[in-house]
Amino acid sequence: MKLFEYQAKEVFASQGLSIPQGSIATDSSGAEQAAMAIGFPCVLKAQVLRGGRGKAGLIKVAHTPLEAAKAASDLFTSPHGVRKILVEKAVDIARELYLSITVDPFSARALILACSDGGIEIETLARTAPEKIVRENVDLDTRLLPFTARNCAYSLGLEGDLAKKFAQVVESLYKVFRALDAELVEINPLFVTKSGGLVAGDGKLSIDDNSMSRHPEWEPGRDYFGSEVEFEAYKEGIPYLQFDGDISLMCAGAGLTTTVYDLIADSGGTVANYLEFGGPNYRKGLKAMELCVKNNPKVILIVTFGTIARADIMAEGIVGAISTLKPSCPIVVCIRGTGEDAAAATLRAAGLDPLTDTEMAVKRAVELARGETGGHA
Amino acid sequence: MSIFIDRDTRVVVFGATGNEGGFWTKHMLELGTRVVAGVTPGKEGANAAADAKIPAGRPGQQGLSGQQGFSGLPVYHSLRRALACYEADAAMLFVPPRFTKDAVFEALDSGLKKIVTIADGIPLHEALQIRAAARSCGARVIGGNTSGVISPGFAMMGMFPYWIERVYKPGRIGVMTRSGSLTNEVTAMVVAGGFGVSSLIGVGGDSVPGTRFAELLPDFQADSGTDAVVIIGELGGTMEEEVAQALAAGSFTKPVVAFIGGRHAPAGKRMGHAGAITSGGSGSALDKIAALRDAGALVAERPSLVGECLRQALGMNPQ
Repeated sequence: MKLFEYQAKEVFASQGLSIPQGSIATDSSGAEQAAMAIGFPCVLKAQVLRGGRGKAGLIKVAHTPLEAAKAASDLFTSPHGVRKILVEKAVDIARELYLSITVDPFSARALILACSDGGIEIETLARTAPEKIVRENVDLDTRLLPFTARNCAYSLGLEGDLAKKFAQVVESLYKVFRALDAELVEINPLFVTKSGGLVAGDGKLSIDDNSMSRHPEWEPGRDYFGSEVEFEAYKEGIPYLQFDGDISLMCAGAGLTTTVYDLIADSGGTVANYLEFGGPNYRKGLKAMELCVKNNPKVILIVTFGTIARADIMAEGIVGAISTLKPSCPIVVCIRGTGEDAAAATLRAAGLDPLTDTEMAVKRAVELARGETGGHA
Repeated sequence: MSIFIDRDTRVVVFGATGNEGGFWTKHMLELGTRVVAGVTPGKEGANAAADAKIPAGRPGQQGLSGQQGFSGLPVYHSLRRALACYEADAAMLFVPPRFTKDAVFEALDSGLKKIVTIADGIPLHEALQIRAAARSCGARVIGGNTSGVISPGFAMMGMFPYWIERVYKPGRIGVMTRSGSLTNEVTAMVVAGGFGVSSLIGVGGDSVPGTRFAELLPDFQADSGTDAVVIIGELGGTMEEEVAQALAAGSFTKPVVAFIGGRHAPAGKRMGHAGAITSGGSGSALDKIAALRDAGALVAERPSLVGECLRQALGMNPQ
């Protein structure tokens, strides 16, 4: 789960990292007051979970209370769904660095990435000038030793006091990485101030979803999700992605659902939502269909080929959901796997026409979405 | 012939006394897997999977001191206590994610070199520690977030509906996969194309799997029962690219056919599996397909084309 910048910075500060003086505002007058309390110039930063905020105009500088009020009002009325603004004191910047820690699945260690050019997109740099990126691996059981942190600093060409401070920042950021079971912590840019300090200009912190039970204080609320239905699906533990097309996917198995998504796009169809009710969720047919119906899709497409997710139980769930919800759109069903014969019988008894071929099912769903009858649905 | 598991591989099952663990342990036995004992702390003396119909010709449970009396599996408090009575080569873990690191380290501590974990939801940092420890012990951990490993017709560690013959037919094609349901889908197409499966290894859908695709290639290369390998990959990570590197370097010389999911996946969206996400423009399905094709693999655009690609890769006439 990705945290907002202001939350990431709170965590950074709790581990001894310097962050700019700032406060959070939830409306324009609050932002103006925060700006006056902090002093000018100040920076107003929209708290949204997307990258490229600078280019999207979601970060603004204000030199007067009037500018701050105008900037806040612009941000809150932007189409990006801004609910909070971080108002920060502007930093006297001498130069910018880059620092992040992530996981290296191959070596099975943590991976520190550092660069003497901050503010850049590290993935772009990795392609264009990989030699500029310093990489250091850390064995989780050995922990981060001081020499590794020093190596990061000296490999960047830092000297004297700045090198020492940078090594301390690396150690603090590693503590954040471990304490929050992060998949990524990133400071980009890391400001070197004119007085020689190091201040986190931005903060990214993504907690591993599989470790969320250890971090109940970060349980995400509604503002972490793009839509109401996404939030509802999250609370149910059902993997769900919101799109705005015609065909609602109610499939089982992540890889199969992703493949069905591809096949629909190949056939010129569009997807209303990605929903996967396999694995531990295979008894949640009613809830899954309820989420799908909320998108008013033209077709609901059900494709499964389950092992643990038993076809017979899913078929019963689907038939029950249809009789409860009475969806007005056609439903295309293709259920295979453990218990498939009983599943087909259950579906037929309920008046459905179960298919056995994924690509045929996709074809039929795309035709139905286009308004072509495509035979019997 | 097969890789990783055959009829002689002696397996200890962690969690065989649980609902799901018991159900699949029974099926492992019924397929002919040589499961020797179960491990569940606090349940020593229990008899797991007692109703399993063990195929004729399989050796019964024969302990080191010759003890008998179990129709299914004798269960022990710990692996150490199980190994005092039975010899074993492999551990199958039906253990929840939060206990998986403990169980993997218990198996490594006893010197087992083959471990399969189905757990979906292993904490990321623990997945790193599991893989690091397995590497330093020279052991192989398959998973998590997988159905496991099967050599159809012979043995399995995990959860496969092997009785569905249009999917799990024995044959000479190796399969490596990051997915479960999609594996059933694609493997059915391997069989529909006139082939069968030698061994199928589910490396799992997590971003830090214990074993990576390319690390299995030497085993498939050496296996005289495997003529070609099918890779079921998807967006995210670099495992497919590592296979392409092995092909380009000439260290794997058997034909490779791949199906890669997520060609149309929007950038930065996690498509179900923890590992199925592009980051900063790398790990896209299209990049993987290009890398594999450049290295000489055939990539099927749709699951239904996998059989035809295999025929082409093996120099056979179209069906």
